[in-house]
Amino acid sequence: MVKVKVNDIEVDADPKDNCILAARKAGVEIPHYCWHESLSVVASCRMCLVEVGETKPDGTVAMGPKLVPGCQTPIKEGTIIRTDSSKVKTSQQMTLELLLLNHPLDCSICDQAGECYLQDYTYKYGKAHSRLDEPKIQREDKYHIGEQIALFTDRCVMCTRCVRFTREISGTAELQVVARGSHEEIDVFPDTPCNNKLAGNVVDLCPVGALCSKDFLYKKRVWWLKHADSVCTGCSTGCSVQVDQNDNKVYRLRPRENPQAQGHFMCDEGRFGFKYIHDERRIKYPRLKAPSATTNATVRSTEPSDLTFADPWPMVLADTRKRIQTAIQNDPSGFVVVLSAFMTVEEAYLLASYIKGIDSRTKLTLGPIPIVGSDDLYPKGPKGQSPAADKVKFTIRAEKCPNRTGIEAILRHFEGSVIQAESLGKSSASAWFVVGGYSSGWVNEKIDQAVGTPSLLIVQDIFPSPLSERADVVLAAGSFAERDGTYVNHAGLAQATHASIRPPEQARADGRILMDLAGRAGLFNAMALRKEIGTKIPELSAIATGDLGEHGVRLAKFANRPAAAKS
Amino acid sequence: MSEPQTNEAQKNEALKNKPSAKKSVKWGEAPKLTILDALYLPAIVSGLATAVRHAVSGKATTRQYPEVEPEIPPNYRGVHRLNRDEAGRVKCVACYMCQTACPANCIEIIAAPAPKDDPHWKDRDKFPATFTIDELRCIYCGMCEEACPVDAIELTSIYDLTGMTREEMIFDKEKLLSVFDETVKTGRDPVRTNRGKLGPAAELSSTAKDAPPPPGRGKSG
Amino acid sequence: MINNLINSLFEYWPVLWPALAAIGVILAVVPFLGLYMTFVERKIAAYVQDRVGPNRVGPFGLFQAIADGIKIFLKEQLIPDHVFTALYFLAPAFSLITAMFALVVMPFGPVATDYKDGFRFIVAPGIDIGILMMLAISSLSAYGIIVGGWASNSKYSIYGAIRSCAQFISYEIPLGLSILGVIAITGSLNIEKIVEAQSGSLFDWNVFWQPVAMLVFFTAALAETNRLPFDLPECEQELVGGFHTEYSGIKFVLYFLAEYTHIVTVSFLTALLFLGGWHFPGLPGPSGASTPILLLGLGVLLAKVSLVVLVIILLRWSLPRFRFDQLMGLAWKGLIPLGLVNLVGVAIVLSLGLPKHLLIATVILPVLGAYYSAAKFNASTAIPNATRQGLSPQGAVSYE
Repeated sequence: MVKVKVNDIEVDADPKDNCILAARKAGVEIPHYCWHESLSVVASCRMCLVEVGETKPDGTVAMGPKLVPGCQTPIKEGTIIRTDSSKVKTSQQMTLELLLLNHPLDCSICDQAGECYLQDYTYKYGKAHSRLDEPKIQREDKYHIGEQIALFTDRCVMCTRCVRFTREISGTAELQVVARGSHEEIDVFPDTPCNNKLAGNVVDLCPVGALCSKDFLYKKRVWWLKHADSVCTGCSTGCSVQVDQNDNKVYRLRPRENPQAQGHFMCDEGRFGFKYIHDERRIKYPRLKAPSATTNATVRSTEPSDLTFADPWPMVLADTRKRIQTAIQNDPSGFVVVLSAFMTVEEAYLLASYIKGIDSRTKLTLGPIPIVGSDDLYPKGPKGQSPAADKVKFTIRAEKCPNRTGIEAILRHFEGSVIQAESLGKSSASAWFVVGGYSSGWVNEKIDQAVGTPSLLIVQDIFPSPLSERADVVLAAGSFAERDGTYVNHAGLAQATHASIRPPEQARADGRILMDLAGRAGLFNAMALRKEIGTKIPELSAIATGDLGEHGVRLAKFANRPAAAKS
Repeated sequence: MSEPQTNEAQKNEALKNKPSAKKSVKWGEAPKLTILDALYLPAIVSGLATAVRHAVSGKATTRQYPEVEPEIPPNYRGVHRLNRDEAGRVKCVACYMCQTACPANCIEIIAAPAPKDDPHWKDRDKFPATFTIDELRCIYCGMCEEACPVDAIELTSIYDLTGMTREEMIFDKEKLLSVFDETVKTGRDPVRTNRGKLGPAAELSSTAKDAPPPPGRGKSG
Repeated sequence: MINNLINSLFEYWPVLWPALAAIGVILAVVPFLGLYMTFVERKIAAYVQDRVGPNRVGPFGLFQAIADGIKIFLKEQLIPDHVFTALYFLAPAFSLITAMFALVVMPFGPVATDYKDGFRFIVAPGIDIGILMMLAISSLSAYGIIVGGWASNSKYSIYGAIRSCAQFISYEIPLGLSILGVIAITGSLNIEKIVEAQSGSLFDWNVFWQPVAMLVFFTAALAETNRLPFDLPECEQELVGGFHTEYSGIKFVLYFLAEYTHIVTVSFLTALLFLGGWHFPGLPGPSGASTPILLLGLGVLLAKVSLVVLVIILLRWSLPRFRFDQLMGLAWKGLIPLGLVNLVGVAIVLSLGLPKHLLIATVILPVLGAYYSAAKFNASTAIPNATRQGLSPQGAVSYE
C-alpha cells in the first residue's frame, strides 16, 4: 500500500493502481473513455488527463509541467493527483469538444442515450456549445459488422476498446481501425464479421452509442428499464448479470462486474439466451390430470382453461400434498424426487426437506446435467486454438446448468450420495416428483424410460415435455428471472439471484410453490432460508450470512480454487 | 360604559398600557347608514336602472358558436398532430421523449429501424412503427410538444374534438398525420415551430397585439 | 228534478253565458300566458346579463316556450318512494286552482258598474266583497305550497313549506292594511267600483294619494308570489328547490303556472287598485261605451299590467334574496307600521272631511322611518369614545 493524495484527499492505494483507480478510492472520478480495467492501456482518448506530481523526500511537492493521462500513469508513495485545477478542467472541455466535433448528436434515436458516457461527461465536464462551423463528417452505418452488433460509425469516439477486446479477450481480432486521422473508422475485414461467442461484449464496452446490439436495437429507451441483480443460468460459470426489464418483459441481460465469478464479460449464449422465458409455449397454469379419491366432483370437472380467473393453487397444492403422502405411505422407497440443476439451493432444500421429512426412505436424485461439447476457453490463438491454462481470460463451460454444485451439496446432505436419475434405468419406482426448469427440452430417452408410467407423477416445469404430458400433477414453475435464490457455480461461488419479473399468468416461482406445498408458514424469503440452510448443512455453511452481497461467497470446500475468471 | 369606581386610577393605568390605547392604533369604523340607505328604494331603483341599462345596451357577449367560430389564440393547445417532413414522411424519429414527458401517460410509441432498403427512407435510422395518443386521457398540457427534439408533435387549434366511442378517440399514427394534412391544408395551423427557433409562446409577443381578446373578457359591467 | 235544472238553465242562460265565456277566456289565456311569461322572463334575464337568451327554436326563439311545454308534458311521471301520494298529487293542483280561482272577481278589461247583459271582461261582475274574496282566496294558495312540502316528505321541501307558511302569515297583514285606505275612501269592496272611483283626471288614480299604500301593497304582493327577492320557500342555493324539490314534469308545471298566475293577478290588482285600471285621461269610461272604446280600455289596462309585470321581472334580476330575519323584519317592522300609520292618516282625512290629496304627504312616513332606523343602526355600530381612548374595557380589542 502506498499513500497517494488526490485533490488533497489522502488515500491508501495499491502500487499496481493507475491514477484513475487511486482517485476512485478517494471518491474522485477521473473521466475516461479508452481505459478499461481488463483491457490494455492505450491512452488515446485523452479524457483522463490530470495533473500529477510527486512529494520529494524533503517534503516539497513537485508537480509535473504537463498534464498526463491518468490511465497510463502509475502511482508511487507520495504521488499527488489533481483533477480540479482549471488546467485539467480546460483540458477536459477541449477534449470533449474534439470528441464531439463529428459526433452527429442524434441522441434522440440513439439506444445509448441515458447511459452514454458522452452525455454524462459532457454534462459534467463539457461545454455548452461547439465552435465547429463546417458540416460534420457523416459516415455510413455498418450493419454488417456482426450478426448481433451494428456499428453507427459517426457516433464513434475511436477509443478502440472494442478492437482491444477482440484482440485481448476473445482473441479473434475481427475488429480493426482502418484509415488514419479524421478518417479513422472501426471496421472488419471483408467477409469476416465479428461473430465470435463474446461479440456482444463490445456493445457494453462501447462508452458511446456506436456499437449497438441488434437484438435490443430501438426496443426500449434505457431509462425505462428496471434492473435486478441476477445470475446467468446459461452455463456453470454463473456469470453475474443484470436483468433489465420493463413492464414485466425482460429486454436484455448485461454482465455485472464480478471478479469472483467471470470478470467483466459474458458470452452471447447467455446474453441472448434468456428469451425462452417469454416463450408462448410455457406452462402457465397448474394442472391436475387424474382426479384422486380425495378431490370432490366439482374440482374434477374443472378444465385447466377454466382456472384462468380463479386461483387454482390452493386446490392443486392441497391435492398434490395428499397424493404425495398417500404415495409415500404406500411405497416409501418407491418415491423418487428428481432435483434439477436449474433449481436454486433454497428450492432444492425446501423440496428435499419436505419429502425427507415425510419419510426418510424416499429417494432424492439429480436430474440430467446438460453437457454440450467441451469448455470453450478464451482468448483464442491466431488459429482458433485454446489458450494455455494460465492465459485463460474467459470460459464458456460445457455444463449448461447453473447450480449442479449446490444441488449436489443438498443431495449429499439429505441422501448421503448423489444418485443420477438417469442411472435408475427402468426402475420400479412407483411415484415420481420431477422438477425441470431447464431452458430447453431436457427429457431424454433415459429419464423418460426411467420414469415410465408410475402410479403418481408430479412434474414441476416451465415447458411441456413428454413427462408433463402424462403427469398427474403439473406445477407451473418460474424461470430464472422470476426466482429468488442462490446458485452455486462450478467453482463453489454461491451467488444470490433476484426476481425481476412476475411469472406468466398463473405460473409461480418454484420457491413459492414448494413453500406452500411443504406447508411452511410465511412467504418465500431467500435470505431467511439461506440462514437456515447455512446452519443445517455444513457444506453450505458459507451462505449462513443470508446476504451474499454483490459478488457472492465461496463455499469452504472450494476456498482454495483460483478465481473463476482465470480458470 | 358604567365602570366600577374602585381602583380607577390603577385601572386607567393598566388600560393605558394596552395596545388599544396607543396612538398608533387605527380604528376601523362601520360605514354610516344614511337615510337613503335605510329607505331601500334608491338602491332598488339604481339596481333596476343597472338592469335596464344592460338590457337596452344591446351588446350581448354571447357567441353564436356553431355558426360563428371562436377566435383561437395562437398558443392554443388542441388536438395533436404528427408533422411530416419535406419528403412527406412522418417527422417523428421515435425518440420517446414525448412519451417520457407525458404526465398523463397517454402516448404510446413502438419504434422500429427505418426501412433502409427503401430509398425514400435512406437517411433515416429509426421511425415510429406505431404512434398512439389517447386523446381522452390527454390533458393537453403541451409537454410533448415542448419535449420533442425534432418538432414532430404539435398541438393544433382544433378545439372541438368529439367522438361517439372511446376507441375512435385513440388516435393512431395515420390519424395524427391526417390531422397534420388537414390543418396545414386549411392554413389554420401552419407549422409553428422550426428547428432552431423557439416555441410558439416565445413568438407570441409579436402576434399578441393582433390577437383577439380571449372569449369572455370582452367588456365589463 | 232534472227538468227543473234544465229549465232554470234556460232561464238563467242570458246571465250564464257571459260568465262561461269569460271563464273560457281565462282558461284559454292563463296557461298560454304562463308559458310565454317564462319565455319573456328568460329573454329579459338574458338581456339584463348581456346575453341573447333563447333564440334557437323558431323566429327569435319564440317557439322555445312551446318546445319546453311539450318536453315537460312528455316527461316521465316520477313519484318518489317516500311521498304521501294522494297529497303529493293534490298539492300542485290545489295551488293552480286557488291561483286561478282568484281571477273570478278580477276584471281583466273595462267593466261598467251598471251591469248589463252580454259579454263582460269579468267572470262574476258586481261582487260587493270582490277585493276581500280575492285576498281570501289568494292566501289559500299557501296551502298548495305547504301541503306539497309536507307531502314530499323531504327535509328541503318541509323547510320550504315552513318558510312559505311564515312568509304568508306575515305578509297578509300589510297586504290587507295597504288596501284598507283605498277601500275606506271609495267606500266599496267592489273592484269595479274602486276603479270607477279613479276615473276623471290622472290625479284621481289612487297612486297619487296613496303612494305609501301602493308601495306596501306591491311589496307584500310580491312576497305573496314567492318571487325574488322573496323566494325563500324555493331558494335554490339553500333548499335545492324548496317545496317543489320532489316535483317534476307536469306536476312541477302546475306549480310553475300557479306562480305565474299569481304574478298576473298581482299585476292586475296593482293596476286596478292604484293605477286607475282601464282609465286614462281623455278616455271615456266603459259605461255604455262602444266596442272600440272598450277595446281601447282593455289595451290601456293590459299596458299598465305589462308595465307592472316588467318591473316584477326586472326586480328579480336586480335584487338579491333577503335573509329570513330581514324578510320578517321588513314585514313586521317596516310594512305593517307604515300601513297602520297610513290608515290613521286616511281616517283623519275622512273624519275631518279634508281633500284626500293631502294624503300625498304620507310619503314622509317611510323617510321618517328610514331616518329612525339609520340613526339606530349608526348608534349601534359606533365605537364608544371611552374605548377609543383605551379607558373602557368594553368593546376594546384585547390582545392579552
